[in-house]
Amino acid sequence: MTGLRALITGLALIAPALLLTTVSLPAQAQDAAVARGAAIVAERNCGACHGERGVSAIPSIPSLAGQQREFVTVQLVLFREGLRDVPAMQKPSEGLTDEQVEDLGAYFASLPHSPPPDRARRNVGAFNNGAALSNRLRCGVCHTPTLVGQNQVPHIAGQREDFLAATLRAYRDGVRHGSDTQMNAAVYGLTDAQLDAIAHYVSQR
Amino acid sequence: MTSNTRLRTAMAGALSLAFALPAAAQSPAPASSPASPPAWAQGRSEAQANSPLAPHAPRLTATPVERIPVDSIRLPEGFRAELWASGMPGARMMARGEDGTVYVGTRTIGRVYAVKEENGSRSTRVLAQRLDNPNGVAVKDGSLYVIAMNRVLRYDNIAQNPNAEPVEMTQAFALPTEAHHGWKFAAFGPDGKLYMNIGVPCNVCTFDENRHALIVRYNPDGSGREVMGHGVRNSVGFDWRPGTNVLYASNNARDWAGNDTPEDTLHRLSRPGEHHGFPYCSGAAWQDPGHTGRKCSEFPAPVALLGPHTAPLGMRFYTGTMFPEAYRGRAFVARHGSWNRDAKIGFDVVTVTLNADGSEGKVEPFLTGLLDSGANSFAGRPTDVMVMPDGSMLVSDEHNGAIYRISYGR
Repeated sequence: MTGLRALITGLALIAPALLLTTVSLPAQAQDAAVARGAAIVAERNCGACHGERGVSAIPSIPSLAGQQREFVTVQLVLFREGLRDVPAMQKPSEGLTDEQVEDLGAYFASLPHSPPPDRARRNVGAFNNGAALSNRLRCGVCHTPTLVGQNQVPHIAGQREDFLAATLRAYRDGVRHGSDTQMNAAVYGLTDAQLDAIAHYVSQR
Repeated sequence: MTSNTRLRTAMAGALSLAFALPAAAQSPAPASSPASPPAWAQGRSEAQANSPLAPHAPRLTATPVERIPVDSIRLPEGFRAELWASGMPGARMMARGEDGTVYVGTRTIGRVYAVKEENGSRSTRVLAQRLDNPNGVAVKDGSLYVIAMNRVLRYDNIAQNPNAEPVEMTQAFALPTEAHHGWKFAAFGPDGKLYMNIGVPCNVCTFDENRHALIVRYNPDGSGREVMGHGVRNSVGFDWRPGTNVLYASNNARDWAGNDTPEDTLHRLSRPGEHHGFPYCSGAAWQDPGHTGRKCSEFPAPVALLGPHTAPLGMRFYTGTMFPEAYRGRAFVARHGSWNRDAKIGFDVVTVTLNADGSEGKVEPFLTGLLDSGANSFAGRPTDVMVMPDGSMLVSDEHNGAIYRISYGR
């Protein structure tokens, strides 16, 4: 009962805002956006793939819990506009209004981040290689040193390794670009083995 | 103010506060010495290696009218700003059709908008979508040209046939496919040719100087490619000086070479095919330490320095008569605003008054108020300017998906 649980979560989140009259209006507004986002998540059954609480247990499907609000908003607009080609996201993003994509961003950002339940054990060699590459490529500048992202730059620490590896390949091969082309330039010319090492390292952070 | 309005305003406040925190809370990562940095980070000093500066997020959702900062805009005495059109996320470059429809290109959101004025009110619609950075829009002989990344579309008889299917012109133009700096500014020159920029596919690098960092012109059918200027890193705005037919172009200099160097520039392309310096020389005769093969003395100096990292984009000469005499013939330049600078700069419109022979220009502020220097934050990003037949000027604001109208007197 993914939808029902998400709806209950949404109601639970909105309740304190309604009861605490001393809470600041911005916080109330944020809670309201989160609650509206939760209702959309229930209605569109996002949890079936991304996990009930936004932590994905399905290979190649990204976790969204604790993701940057602005990143989620931008990506949903790209899906809706047919600019980011992921067939599975075509239907779920269809007809979303601008306010709804903002609400979904607020909702996923509000969920606690957690690594996937099936995260692999750390391979020290791959981890160290990935760390060295990540340092050299300055991933921490935009994604921040803890790789939790900022604004339109996504939270990548603890993301699914399979998803990260596929995404890095898509950037390198020019199949995907973000809201700008920085990632295409950052991973230009890297080998599959190098991308896999980065994916392993980032997924283990 | 409706309760819904208050809620949205409050929500915006909460969200902007929430998202200011992660950036402020960053601590430097352990330093390392890169053997070969990627292209976009080349030339970056160790001191800047862990700078948190990054491009600003594009806002791809509509900004409600009550949150558009038109009241923040400051102009010289006698000028006024009004909101002319809104609800167009990502609105950037503008071109005006013969029937008065204003076409607006975008980048990330992939749309081209059309703003139609009828009986004193305006309606906006999405004319084209699902394009890759359709920044360039230009109108010629009733046809709208849309230039996206490595894609050229022509909409014939667009005024009579607003839902025209485009003619695919991509093969004829055969533009480079590189995405980085691959978006175009486009305009028809007094010679009837279609001009556009071909940006450099990196921050700074060694590249084919006959293929990138160019301003090129084509016949309208895509044939007859000619290089009008070499060594122009990325120009996203140009115009011809009235009465002279000499091309002037704004130019974005490289990043990661310091807060104050090199300066962005305005160039005069008086001799077709001339080299304007990049990657060797930029700004105020600033020799790039990583590219010393040619010296600044080999290149024509820019006619004006537009400030470091200010990102001068749309640029047009004022050809109307509504503005006072002193403003006529000046270049108006929309400065999109900096990201690669600790203290933000730009987010405004400046004017450049050229001397008689057009070789030098004096830069003065015109439209300000969108940058809060104290808070180091911005409320809008002027992106293009366009003179209207009545002599007023439109200014697009990509950040708010809006177009302002600047008028004088009355």
